[in-house]
Amino acid sequence: MVEGNQTEKGITRRKFTLGVMIASMAGAFASLFSLLKVLAPASKGAGYVSTIKPGDRLVYAKGGNAGSPVKASSMSLGDAVLVYPVGKTSNPANLVQLIKLNESDFKAPTKINLTDQGFVAYSAICTHLGCTVSWVKNTANPSASITECFCHNSMFDPAKGAEVIGGPAPIPIAQIGVKINGDSLVFTSDFTGPIGPQV
Amino acid sequence: MIYNWFEERLELKKFKAKFLAKTFPTHPSYLVGEIALFSFITLVLTGLFLGFLYEPSVKLVSLFGSMVPAAYASVVKIDLMPMGMIIRRMHHWSAMLMISSIILHLMRVYFTSAYQKPRELNWLVGLSLLGISLGAAFSGYLLPYSQFSVTATSIAYYMVKSIPWVGDWFSRLLFAGPFPAIGMVPRFFFLHVMLIPLGIVALLGAHMTILVKQKHTEPRTNIGRPEGGNGKRLIGIPIWPEQAVISLSFFLFLLFTIAAIATYIPINPIETYGAPAPGTPVMRPDWYFLWVYGFLKLIPGNLSFTIFGGKITPETIGGVIFPGLTFLILALIPFFDRAKEPQNYNKSPFARPFMTAFGLGGGTFILMTAVAGYIDVLHISPDRMLVYTGIATVAVWGIVYAVLSAVKKKSGL
Repeated sequence: MVEGNQTEKGITRRKFTLGVMIASMAGAFASLFSLLKVLAPASKGAGYVSTIKPGDRLVYAKGGNAGSPVKASSMSLGDAVLVYPVGKTSNPANLVQLIKLNESDFKAPTKINLTDQGFVAYSAICTHLGCTVSWVKNTANPSASITECFCHNSMFDPAKGAEVIGGPAPIPIAQIGVKINGDSLVFTSDFTGPIGPQV
Repeated sequence: MIYNWFEERLELKKFKAKFLAKTFPTHPSYLVGEIALFSFITLVLTGLFLGFLYEPSVKLVSLFGSMVPAAYASVVKIDLMPMGMIIRRMHHWSAMLMISSIILHLMRVYFTSAYQKPRELNWLVGLSLLGISLGAAFSGYLLPYSQFSVTATSIAYYMVKSIPWVGDWFSRLLFAGPFPAIGMVPRFFFLHVMLIPLGIVALLGAHMTILVKQKHTEPRTNIGRPEGGNGKRLIGIPIWPEQAVISLSFFLFLLFTIAAIATYIPINPIETYGAPAPGTPVMRPDWYFLWVYGFLKLIPGNLSFTIFGGKITPETIGGVIFPGLTFLILALIPFFDRAKEPQNYNKSPFARPFMTAFGLGGGTFILMTAVAGYIDVLHISPDRMLVYTGIATVAVWGIVYAVLSAVKKKSGL
């Protein structure tokens, strides 16, 4: 009796149950998306955003004298150190590599107006996968020293605007202006280009 | 008497007849998969110990007068405890052993064509187990939060982020926000001790259930042996008691070996790497990630383009497409090298020149990309290494194929 009625009306119990199941499954899946969205915090301040302002004094980033001002007189030709702007050492995007070369070593695309007496500064974040770059000093010819990232061996030429001279890095490292102020150094500009991995 | 009490309630005899009578082939190469299983058990046991002591947090605490993340401090404290360092080394060594044995097990199955009908499904489950084990190993990298952990995780973050279209969202889901997020260590802790182990247990269960249902393949030497009744029965020993005794003694031997290695050989010495600090030292991943690491070094930096709005960068190619393609090819193997009838005997690798050459050639390629991880030490340029990799792969492939084909022709297999 009951079954007969159902077929006449077109909607059977079986169809109804199936419809409810499909609808609730669709609802469950839809809610999954908002759940996943909650679990993936937004990109606010994503990537490397530097907070360096012109006028910030350079301080050593590591070692025994970490936090104290960089001494210009302590660096000779072919030396490099990792530095931070003073008081802003918690942001990894602020890490900078300060290099001492000869004024005459610089070639385009180095921005010579952002250097001072052979001091040139670049972001210390490799543009490949975000490791901190290292300094490979050429003791025989200090002007030919290079910046290398030891993670995947990307190499950059500090005398030529940190252009990529080997390895997988896609773009040069951005330069930042510095000038000598007494025996210490201060930043004079923002980064000339994007810093950190370009993904 | 106690036995009877249980027998009356649980019908143990029936259970034994149904499940414990499964036959195991006796060839030693069949024990490699068990090493993986036992390594996993060792990982769980040692992980339980570490779980009581580890603190998943990056909040700065004082350790010997300097401020370091709590996660790092807790691992240093584990190392200072009696037995602590041995347990932590055992954990890391077991992980290496687990992945090594999974790869050897995969090679055994590949070169004897045990993946053919009806075992394609279990090949896929096995591959998933390899993938998830690599995930387990990787998520464990971050937890001590040393300089090494942070560098490795940062590299992985940008690799995930370089996935076209969904990379940005997916990297934030996995790493709890843009790197380095405060919530990253707790999230990786959850993945490492809960989600991934549950996944491994589920996949292991499926792997074993399918194995029991389908039975092992048999060594070719068993063909025609009268005990097998013309291939109707698998020749070997039952799970209970013979195989169980072998497995148990094997497990204990393995536990002893891991403990011995852990006692004498350091691994992941986080005190040497130190707490996270500016600057990246020369560091290489554990051997099972060397292939991806090495391949990343080989890709020229200017190789990047956009397709359908998705950005393909060198990182995408090295970190996403290359490993993805490797797993895809492995997954498709049983569907290209097919058998019409269900196969229950291993085939000789000498009788299958193409597949054997394909396997050895592919293996050579992966090996060479791992060697490429050392180009800075070997003083080889990436371009030249790429050429060497190509030559070695083609040479191994070609020579193996030519030799095996000739042997096959001559012996008339």
